[in-house]
Amino acid sequence: MNATTSTRDVAGRPRLDFTVLFARFGTLASLIALLIAFSLARSDVFPTVNNLLNIMSQISILGTMAFGLTVCLVMGLFDLSIAAMATLGGYVATFLLVQYPDTVGVPEAVAASLITAALIGIVNGLIVSYLGISAFIATLATGSIITGAVLGISDSKTIITGIPDEFMAIGQGAIFGVSNPILIMLAVGMVLWLFLEHTQLGRHLYAIGGSAEASRLSGIAVKRYAPLALAICAACAGLGGLMAAAVLGAGRPQGVGDGYLLNAFAAVFIGASSLRPGKFHILGTLIGVLLIGVINNGLSVMGVPTYWQYIVQGTLLVAALFSAGILTMRKH
Amino acid sequence: MSSANLAPVPISPIGTGRSQTVGDTFLEVVGLVKQFPGTLALDHVDLTVRRGEIHALLGENGAGKSTLIRQICGASQPTSGKILIEGAEVALHSPQAARGLGIAVVHQHFNLAPQISVAENLFLAGGLPRRAGLFVNWPEVYKRSHALLARVGLDIDPRQEVSQLRPDEAAMVAIAKAIGASAKLIILDEPTAALLPAEVGVLFGHMRRLAAEGHAFLYVSHRLAEVFEIADRVTVLRDGKNAGHWTREQMSRRSIIEAIVGSQKSFSEEAADPPAQFGDVLLSATSARGGRVVEMSFKLRAHEILGMAGLPGSGAEEALDLLYGRYAMTGGKLSVRGAAVTLRSPRDAKAAGLALVPKDRHAESLLPAASVRENISLPNLDRFLTDPVLRLIRRHKERTEAERIGRLLSVKMPSVESPIQSLSGGNQQKAILGRWLASGAKIFMLNSPTAAVDIGAKAEIYALIRQIAADGAGVIFTSTEVEEFPRVCHRVLVFRDGRIAGELLGKDATEANILNLAAGGGE
Repeated sequence: MNATTSTRDVAGRPRLDFTVLFARFGTLASLIALLIAFSLARSDVFPTVNNLLNIMSQISILGTMAFGLTVCLVMGLFDLSIAAMATLGGYVATFLLVQYPDTVGVPEAVAASLITAALIGIVNGLIVSYLGISAFIATLATGSIITGAVLGISDSKTIITGIPDEFMAIGQGAIFGVSNPILIMLAVGMVLWLFLEHTQLGRHLYAIGGSAEASRLSGIAVKRYAPLALAICAACAGLGGLMAAAVLGAGRPQGVGDGYLLNAFAAVFIGASSLRPGKFHILGTLIGVLLIGVINNGLSVMGVPTYWQYIVQGTLLVAALFSAGILTMRKH
Repeated sequence: MSSANLAPVPISPIGTGRSQTVGDTFLEVVGLVKQFPGTLALDHVDLTVRRGEIHALLGENGAGKSTLIRQICGASQPTSGKILIEGAEVALHSPQAARGLGIAVVHQHFNLAPQISVAENLFLAGGLPRRAGLFVNWPEVYKRSHALLARVGLDIDPRQEVSQLRPDEAAMVAIAKAIGASAKLIILDEPTAALLPAEVGVLFGHMRRLAAEGHAFLYVSHRLAEVFEIADRVTVLRDGKNAGHWTREQMSRRSIIEAIVGSQKSFSEEAADPPAQFGDVLLSATSARGGRVVEMSFKLRAHEILGMAGLPGSGAEEALDLLYGRYAMTGGKLSVRGAAVTLRSPRDAKAAGLALVPKDRHAESLLPAASVRENISLPNLDRFLTDPVLRLIRRHKERTEAERIGRLLSVKMPSVESPIQSLSGGNQQKAILGRWLASGAKIFMLNSPTAAVDIGAKAEIYALIRQIAADGAGVIFTSTEVEEFPRVCHRVLVFRDGRIAGELLGKDATEANILNLAAGGGE
């Protein structure tokens, strides 16, 4: 009954609706506004090709992890183990390369690291689907287990010596002046965009996120999707940590992913308030990641103290969620 | 509200209870107009509700019922016209103002907080009684809750969580809450939507008693049968205008239905004509058992619409869920087109050519945030794939198919990309049926497909069900409204205590016969 009335209301109002425009394009507009503002403020430093590539490099690890996180949030699953997973990803790869320099090459090490992460993601998913524990709690628990396991295996020692150059090239090399991490992030983004928007599996993830029961009654094997989504998210987090290890040239057994956890969630939620309000999607996540990158870079280029970056980011998150929220509120 | 008009009608003192005779006007709405940009939602609507009466407000979706209620309860202000309470013109600037004047609304889902106790819900608006203005005086809370619940005839522990209550109990708690806020007019918006027939009876009993004590009810419902049972007077709205007014003695089914649907639509009440010949057996169950279904054996043929009727809990509705693999069969055999099958999950059932349209559209079948296209293609995405490995979806093909289904079922929508939420209930339901038509299912199981759908759309959905059967599928139909069975089904199986108590064919499948069998009467 309400639905009919509200359609009629909307139909009778042909003028531009600024609330809708604001909710939809607010974040994109603020990204552009920030780019312009920083460019005007520091025209010598900010708007250079080098600095813009620098921004992209700075966000590449965050972006890779946030894209993965988007996949499981589409299904309504919070993955809090991505920080630990990132640490694990970097550590496993460097550990194997250093321990078995003769038998393990870079491709094998990378594969082993990503597969380990994905397998733990599958375990996360099985816990969620078959033990009925919420993803929020399950991933908090597995995150803690991973953190402990890596610390135990490493004896808290960082791996620095013996990492081959081919591995570090993953983080430090470039193709045509574009650094490898940027290319990796864009490739991951492309693949996951295609996956979520244009494949049956991706559409089913959206359907389950929308209504698990309707999806189940439509013949979708709902329980199989949590392992899938969490495995993808875990592999992306592992990849992010691996990139971080390659950039640093070191395999740290703790703390690699911690800085990315909140930022990744912030980026995905900012993304869900962009273009398609209320819906998690890769393009939105990219906007969210860019927004965070531009703010951090812009503020530091302007010489603003680091603590402002945190304050601005928090404010931005609230503003983005609020803009998405007004539209949702108005629908009801 | 201080807008005491110099009205000639004497204002009777509040709280004199039984001394107030039925017939004093409590609420009078005169020439109410509500203009929305582009639409005239209410066009000079009049309504009079007297003390102690149960007044039904009827009309199709979009007829203006909700808008009228919103003006009366202060949620929105009319463009012009008058609202008088006890003879005095009032301005209802807010729901609080309306509440202060004794008007309370009980919405479809009863606006109760499910996770807290009944007592806390009763005092939600007014605040819990306290000691020293700070600490909750629990003994006083429970004492007053008991008193309030006793007034509505409810014998439950006020410490119980609302989520533990039966729907009819929840409805009565909502009414008790309204009475606790000294409401004299209680507006009930579709209160029986979530109720089982037996519970409806209990609710009506309490309503009659409260009405006899002088409370007035404005009762909004789609269910005509209930209106005939409970209403003292009926007002019908159509396209924002008054379309008719009946007192109990004048009420006739046909004239009210005509007022609701208007002259342009004729409403068929005739039973479904059975086809000349049914086809092959599509589905057969032998001693199937599981959940509330104790024993069930039947055959469904192509072109057949088979009803499964029964009182709530009798196993009729559960039979559909059981057949669709929503819970496990603990015994017996099923075969689809002669081949034995085991359906362990809805996925198996769908693969065997079954389709289920579940009872609760919002919780079980809609993808609420998605478009019409996404809702139609939900079970059908595998038909639009480029290849079996990458499983990319051909968006154009998907869209074309959704558009074809939309046209076939005449789903009224701006486009297939419109949000499903922007469609009326009837059109949403047509899209859900379309979802399964597109899937090529051969056995359709429909649980209350016309729930919360207006009369016009109901007729369309009945026609659609007949068409599905005529095209060669078999249909199993169940509904909480018994009057639907004779209208829809060729044959009705009546369930009692988990077993099929009897079978009614064609013209014998009348409402009375079904109810008789369901209640355990002899044949």
